[in-house]
Amino acid sequence: MPIGGFVVNAQPEFVAEVAKQVAAIADVEVHGFDADGNIVAVIDTVSSIEMEAHVKEIEAIAAVLTVGAAYLHAEDEIDKIISGELIIDKPFHQRQRH
Amino acid sequence: MSVTRRDFIKRSAALTAASYVGMNLPFAQHNVAHAVDADRWVRGTCRLCGSGCRLELGVKDGRPVALRGVPDSRTNYGYLCMKGMLFYKMMQHPERLHKPLYRAKKDQPFKEIGWDQALDIAAAEFAEAVKKYGKDSTAYYGSGQCQTEETYLFQKVFRGGLQTNNVEGNPRLCMASAVGGYMTSFGADEPIGGYANIERSYCIFIIGSNMAEAHPVIFRRVMRRKLDNPAKVKIINADPRISPTSRIADMHMQFRPGTDMALMNAMAYVIIEEKLFDQKFMDDYCVFRVGKDAKQVDMAAYKESLSAYTPEKAVRLCGGNITAEDIRTAARWFATSQGTLSIWCMGINQRKQGVWANNLIHNLHMLTGQLCKPGADSLSMTGQPNACGGVREGGGLCHILPGHRPVVSEKLRNQVEDAWGIPRGRIPPKPGYHTMAMFQAVNEKKIRAIWINCSSPAQSLPNVTPYRKGLQSDDVFVVCTDIFPTKTTECANLILPTAFHFEKTGTYGCTERRSQITVKAIDAPGEAMPEVWIVREWALRLARQLNDPIIAKCVEPFMGKEPDYELPQAVWDEYTQKLTKGCDNDLRGATYDVLKSMADGVQWPAPTVEYALTGGTVMKFVRGSDPMAETEAKDDKPYQFYGAAHADKKLWIWLRPYVGADEEPDAEYPLYLSTGRIIDHWHTSSMTGRVPELLRANPYSFVEINPQDAARMGVRPGDMVEIESRRGKVEMPAKVVEGPIEGMVFAYWHDMHEDRMINKVCNDAYDPDSKEPEFKICACRVRRISGPRALKPYITTLNG
Repeated sequence: MPIGGFVVNAQPEFVAEVAKQVAAIADVEVHGFDADGNIVAVIDTVSSIEMEAHVKEIEAIAAVLTVGAAYLHAEDEIDKIISGELIIDKPFHQRQRH
Repeated sequence: MSVTRRDFIKRSAALTAASYVGMNLPFAQHNVAHAVDADRWVRGTCRLCGSGCRLELGVKDGRPVALRGVPDSRTNYGYLCMKGMLFYKMMQHPERLHKPLYRAKKDQPFKEIGWDQALDIAAAEFAEAVKKYGKDSTAYYGSGQCQTEETYLFQKVFRGGLQTNNVEGNPRLCMASAVGGYMTSFGADEPIGGYANIERSYCIFIIGSNMAEAHPVIFRRVMRRKLDNPAKVKIINADPRISPTSRIADMHMQFRPGTDMALMNAMAYVIIEEKLFDQKFMDDYCVFRVGKDAKQVDMAAYKESLSAYTPEKAVRLCGGNITAEDIRTAARWFATSQGTLSIWCMGINQRKQGVWANNLIHNLHMLTGQLCKPGADSLSMTGQPNACGGVREGGGLCHILPGHRPVVSEKLRNQVEDAWGIPRGRIPPKPGYHTMAMFQAVNEKKIRAIWINCSSPAQSLPNVTPYRKGLQSDDVFVVCTDIFPTKTTECANLILPTAFHFEKTGTYGCTERRSQITVKAIDAPGEAMPEVWIVREWALRLARQLNDPIIAKCVEPFMGKEPDYELPQAVWDEYTQKLTKGCDNDLRGATYDVLKSMADGVQWPAPTVEYALTGGTVMKFVRGSDPMAETEAKDDKPYQFYGAAHADKKLWIWLRPYVGADEEPDAEYPLYLSTGRIIDHWHTSSMTGRVPELLRANPYSFVEINPQDAARMGVRPGDMVEIESRRGKVEMPAKVVEGPIEGMVFAYWHDMHEDRMINKVCNDAYDPDSKEPEFKICACRVRRISGPRALKPYITTLNG
């Protein structure tokens, strides 16, 4: 459920192309871009592991200079951690307690 | 059409991000009063690097649910990095320490005990050490991640109570040379300006810093400045390694490690030769000095000292990709821009001659008058969130009392003793052990009881193996206050669980002299308590054990205060109102009420509430910006360099020769080794390693090897290699990349696995003035062990 709002900074001359590549990533919505190279994106994933992976994917795009986080909401995930349903001690998956 | 809660939150995320860049989106949030993303938002500072990013934690039903940046903050303007965004996972983590843990001997398992028993044990052990071995057999080792209130109270009890100056902190490992550089060049610690100069600068000289990974949010401001002014703004990146920071540079100067001192002297040579210096600035404000006794010399002597650093000679020494014309161009850009800003970090500080390297940066600014005007500053980026506010300013180093007072001054010791209401003579007259000496003293059984707070020296010290062995000995009683098990809690007798960020109230002072408050938002898990409560309760017991009422007097003003807010506020009030009064870091105006009312915080000096509410002093030493430039003025000049360390109230341009590293490559160890951080991890990864997303991004350390070196060694990408020095060896997977200069390898230092802990290999030689170790340069050899191997990430547990 984590939902994050980001500003992706691309080299201005490539911003349209970068916005297209970012929008093609699963779980990512691009809400706009401008001539300064700013791209506003929202990432909505099942877990924050996927979210971080998408951020890395965006950072790896050649003309991307930085990815700045502005907002993160992770209420459902936190509820699961507190209830014990989700265990966050494993790096490569988040165990579900059955 | 109704808006679902999910849609509402997605829109909130989009609108927040869009607002930062002034982008209008075709939707808004209205008529959804019933859909809220959090009950309340609590403002604070990020827990991680020295940038001082401001954020708000969204709390719902007493638990953290969301985070957002503070757009009006003059540090980050709302932006955060992913490390900062994900820190909420550390709050809820199942490995958080919940109860005090104790074992009499270090080969025994820990047992849970109650707080009363834990504090009694801590008091008894420290008292026994004092009775048997003397006061200086006790020590405190703190952190640039402790809140100012914590550092201040610990050092008060140790100095005024236990009567030892064995008070140190891990900023000795990162910022001590920056302190030494500012003190010897400007007469006072900490930058003259701050981040506000970024957007006014026309030449930005980034040396010994990979700020794209180490300070990503501030790097964004530099990047934005360049992108918005591509032709007018020049970026020079000087680093033996091509890093993500280099991408925005107009010129990347790559040189043999350590030769940046020759490079900067060569730039100074060009500035003198081509008459690019600001004669009036130098005449009005500067003198030239040389040697241990700081003998004053004239400009002719300075010019003569630079004769060994013509660009042509420097190029031969520096190697790499630098040409003589590059040096001339860089010097011209530096000198002639409307405002030149230098930014540096560990590449300059963590050196055997770190203070001198800092001096050489300041020299360039003094020669050219690139100080005190908009866009011009020499800005040392601080590594940790509170190395400045807590340790440098709050008395957390063995030679400095609160308010930047050298401990060797009887007059200044008396000032502190009087402010504390304790008898004069309580604070010892000599500095205590600096960090490397402290842990050597543990090895030599001179320290018998040590309190380690919020730091992991058993992983973070250079040449760590012998020091970890000392801490593992049963001859020293080790107390650790922390939130997670670390490599250092493995060496402890007593572990006390502490409240984490937003689980307690306190202040951080960031890179640009700005103190900012974080208010408690949620309860700490289990029985974890804030450090200020722990110190108070321990001190009372210690006073009884040693039959010394003065120890109790140290915490008397804080009795009866509840720990969540009143207690830290009382500590902050004593520190700011009594100890910073009249000092250059005067924070009397920065009360808790003032700090809470602000999006960000207050830059000192800020002697009044009225002035603090404006944000404080943007530019030190400048009349009209710095109130002390008026009160301390000695003439009618616009800049007043009133730093206490310079009796002549001048800036000092130092004659500093190039000196190589303590350990240069040779036939046996033919490569340079340097180390550093990676964006996903913070220091020893005791926190970030427990966030699955961050650990997954970089599950273990690797070593960057230049393709030419890799080809010579027969190393291919992903191969396992052994990195060995005279001190030890580790194994890591190789990343073959055009990063480090040929002849140098670069390893990330966050991994706590025994096989990959790079600090086993690093050199513990240190700067003779600042005592900061030379993490950044040593000699090593590298050999291929095998092809790629499946590795497991490792984060320590309670019993190792």
